[in-house]
Amino acid sequence: MISVSNLSKKIGDVQALDGLSFHAEDGQITGLLGPNGAGKTTCLRTIFGLLKADQGIATINGIDVAIKPVEAKQQLGLFPDPFGIYERLTPREYIRYFAELSGLSRRGALDATNKVIDDLQLEDIADRRCKGFSQGQRMKTALAQAIVHKPKNIVLDEPTRGLDVMSTRVLRDMLRKLKSEGHCILFSSHVMQEVASLCDRVVVMADGKAVAIGSPQELCEQTNQTSLEEAFIALIGTDEGIAA
Amino acid sequence: MPINQRLSLLGKIVTLIVAVFLSTIALAQPGHKENDHCYVDGLSDRLRCGYVKVAENPSNPNGRKINIHYAVIPAVKNIYPNQAFLAIAGGPGQSAIDNAPLFDNTFGQVRETRDILLIDQRGTGRSNILQCPEDKDISPLLINGDDFDSVAETKKCLASIDSDVAQYTSTNALNDFEVVRKFLGYDKLHVYGISYGSRMAQLYMREHAEALATVTLDGVVPMQQSVLAIGLAIDRAFNLLISDCESQDQCQKQFPSIREALANIESQLLLEPIKTQIFHPMTAQPTEFLLTHDKFLGVIRLALYSPNTRALLPHAIDQAGKGNYQAILGLYSLSMEGMDIAMGMHASVVCSEDIHRLSTDLSAELEQSYIGKTMFSELSKVCSVWPSDKVDESFSAPVSNNIPTLLLSGELDPATPPDWAKLAMTDMKNAKHLIAPYAAHGVAMQSCANRIVAQLVEQESTVELNGDCLKEGRARGFYLNASGIDIFMPSTEQPLKITSEEVL
Amino acid sequence: MNNRFFSLLRKELVDAARDKRSVMAGLYYAIFVPIFMAAMMMVLIDKITSAEDLGITISNAATAPDLIAFLDNQGIRHSDDKSETKAIEIIIGVSYAEQMRRAEPAEVILIADGSEENLQSAIRRTQRTLQNYSAEMAGLRLIARGINPRIMNSLNVKMQDQGSSESKGGQLIAMIILFMLLSIFVSGMNLAIDTSAGERERNSLALLLSHPISLRQLIVSKVCAVSIFGMLALVLVLIMSKFIYPMVPWQELGFSVDIGLSFMIATLIAGAFIAIFAASMQLFVSFMAKSFKEAQTYISFVLFVPMVLSYAVTFDLATDELRWAPVTGQLQALIDLMKGKEIPLLQLTVSCLSTLIISVALVLGMERLLKSEKIVFGL
Repeated sequence: MISVSNLSKKIGDVQALDGLSFHAEDGQITGLLGPNGAGKTTCLRTIFGLLKADQGIATINGIDVAIKPVEAKQQLGLFPDPFGIYERLTPREYIRYFAELSGLSRRGALDATNKVIDDLQLEDIADRRCKGFSQGQRMKTALAQAIVHKPKNIVLDEPTRGLDVMSTRVLRDMLRKLKSEGHCILFSSHVMQEVASLCDRVVVMADGKAVAIGSPQELCEQTNQTSLEEAFIALIGTDEGIAA
Repeated sequence: MPINQRLSLLGKIVTLIVAVFLSTIALAQPGHKENDHCYVDGLSDRLRCGYVKVAENPSNPNGRKINIHYAVIPAVKNIYPNQAFLAIAGGPGQSAIDNAPLFDNTFGQVRETRDILLIDQRGTGRSNILQCPEDKDISPLLINGDDFDSVAETKKCLASIDSDVAQYTSTNALNDFEVVRKFLGYDKLHVYGISYGSRMAQLYMREHAEALATVTLDGVVPMQQSVLAIGLAIDRAFNLLISDCESQDQCQKQFPSIREALANIESQLLLEPIKTQIFHPMTAQPTEFLLTHDKFLGVIRLALYSPNTRALLPHAIDQAGKGNYQAILGLYSLSMEGMDIAMGMHASVVCSEDIHRLSTDLSAELEQSYIGKTMFSELSKVCSVWPSDKVDESFSAPVSNNIPTLLLSGELDPATPPDWAKLAMTDMKNAKHLIAPYAAHGVAMQSCANRIVAQLVEQESTVELNGDCLKEGRARGFYLNASGIDIFMPSTEQPLKITSEEVL
Repeated sequence: MNNRFFSLLRKELVDAARDKRSVMAGLYYAIFVPIFMAAMMMVLIDKITSAEDLGITISNAATAPDLIAFLDNQGIRHSDDKSETKAIEIIIGVSYAEQMRRAEPAEVILIADGSEENLQSAIRRTQRTLQNYSAEMAGLRLIARGINPRIMNSLNVKMQDQGSSESKGGQLIAMIILFMLLSIFVSGMNLAIDTSAGERERNSLALLLSHPISLRQLIVSKVCAVSIFGMLALVLVLIMSKFIYPMVPWQELGFSVDIGLSFMIATLIAGAFIAIFAASMQLFVSFMAKSFKEAQTYISFVLFVPMVLSYAVTFDLATDELRWAPVTGQLQALIDLMKGKEIPLLQLTVSCLSTLIISVALVLGMERLLKSEKIVFGL
């Protein structure tokens, strides 16, 4: 469970977060939806302790990130945007490396790596260097990295950006599977369909604030719109920065 | 630098192997084993010095001990730590260590990769030197050798020496060399022997061939020859000087009657010595100069050793014939401060190894030569009282083996002419003889031969050695007046009238 | 804790080893610098020591046949072949013979461009040879006048040179060691940039920091990786030098360069400290930079600092002040060691300690840097 309450953060002259509060439950997929510049990435970075909030707290399973960063991060898996792939390593090395950094023993990391490669059907590329990988292959590698140590909470930053249909499906299936296993999944996106089809709850962000929280259904009802897209536009008052 | 003309002059008239202008050399600090660094005058480099203790009399190992000193001029880059280049000095009686600057200068190329080893032979330099006390009361300018009783002088000298002088022979010295070699841990030596040193080198070849990589004999004294035979060589060199001058236009023109001038002054000096008023060559004090026949011939003989001083001889003789002895005085002054020859050791060697080895033929020939005759009679007197064990026949056997050996001779050498080297190499199986047309005594120091020696040491073979560079040299001229050599415009371009008044 | 550190270090090394650019930077330097230096020295030695014949132009030679013969015997002679002739001309004065006859100084004109680098040694050789002739002549003139030429030497200066053949290399030895130590900087440079500014540019820095590792682990592992790279280059340079430098005929310059075991060990020990210092400094600078390119610029600038200081040592400027400083202190100590002097243990210890202290300060500084959002995200 990831919980954010009253987060404020100023970057330069911009108030990136402005009293943001929400929480993502275990066994649910929570979407962070908002136009470009709404503060989604800043929010996720704050959850990972990379940014220090001016105000408010972020907790992972009840652990304050700002106070006990190592313990808190141990409960997290990150699927970043961009992926941050090491091009000179193979996916197997890459995944194992981050598994070790997440606290697994060398042996444990090896087993976990083999398992996740199996789960994501990465076998055919697992021992090729990442240089020259397609976006889909990169996505799979990054995803494997995020879940290899079986974190309770998984955070994904714009996970479907640049992916083809097949890759998107793989991702979706994986997220659903993780959800069914009881993980807490939080992802940011500005792709409406994505959010509509995957999310149990949606946090709509604008100007660093949560303007609405609820299931896609609830949001439509709340705004009296038929589609989430219309609801979203109604909520933030503009269609700027939204992809269909 | 062979034998002295007159021992009674206590080394006042000796040979010069070194360049004329080389300043005399003082004693270096003797090396200690604890702190084995030392310096030798004229060489700024730090040397490794030390000594070994040996029995003065090898057949009595528990008897008196003497210290044999050595100095190592360290290789710049010691690529061959098990080898050394042993340079043996002449005389007999010169110190090898005192001549370190000369050897370093000459064999710099060898030193780049190998140590140069210098050993003061027993009785010389720092190794229990056998010297005769000098009579400081008589100025060398005024001394007259005829007034000396050689036998008495020798006895006086013997009385002052507290050593078993009969032990200071080449053979005993060679054993010392071997002790030093083993002490310093060298497996192989490249030996260079100059003049009398070439006898030591040949003995080394004969006795310890296994320790030698190459040998260079410079100014060769063959084993078959008594060193006293140099009396003849001097005449040969002097005749060469005269014919050289006669063959050069300007020299001939300037000094047309040099033979007559020489004959005149010699006959004059034979009658009685010439006394002139001069200024002291060093102090410029007015004083007298007594020129005796012996001194005059000694000056000429010494001047012939080096091409530099040789070039001044026609002028010096010409002037002396005209009653001007300045140039003779100047040349004489070069040997005035005493030589670096240990006269006691000199006598030990000559009396044991040379005086009795003159063949009757040679003796007869020597009778014809004034210098040879005088030298023989004086040394005979010395040896009559100097204790010595005469070497036997086997000593005179030519050296026979196949160590790569280079023999060097200077065409102008007044002591050891090229023929001597031919005699030395009769039985050598791997020897090459090179003659330097413009060098006198000490070819390695007077020509490019030092580079040939370096090549021999490097290749350990005589096959590729050749004397081309020796022949490439060009003949230098003679001094035509007291000021220079090129003192006339060339006659071909601008015919110039020369009056003899212009000279001087 | 340790486990993570080694994971980090292992990955840094594997990643770096696969980076052609990083590896090549080190390899090229380590292999080619000794070769290049050796080749340069060989050419230099050849130029300095070749006693080969010197062709010059001699005018009015017929006036001074003995002087010409003297020069000829020293390998200096007139040549009409323009391609082999140096731009040096000797003109024998018109009145040479007359002046010589009267014992006046005889005129010899030596024409050459003294600013021409290529001619320096030839000019000096010609001058020296002429002076030798002059001295020989002067000595014999004195003899001819009944004066002992030794009186011209009014002083007998006995120079006792304390140097050994190893110590006479002077600046060349300093250069050799300087280039050895610089290999640490050069070969770690690319890796330092790649693993800091590069890491950020590839967006993996944020990912790394999102993992449960401490900043100190991360920084120290990177410092270690870069240091190890630097040390590898140093080892390589030492091995190359051990084989290449003996091929140079240093002895012809009158000294020797001996890369012995004790020198190699001392260099590795001193080098280890320098490597840590170099790594932390280069990482610090690259983390400060906003981009890979910028880091490259800064780092070359930083490389300049030890270079300049070391040159100061090489040319004996401010040597006392630099005895205890990082890099220069070790450089001086190693120079002394190679020159066969006693190992200056105090100097070595102090300079290594000062190196270490600065490195620790830099690591702490980096920790502060990486806590800053601006640095992590390049804002």
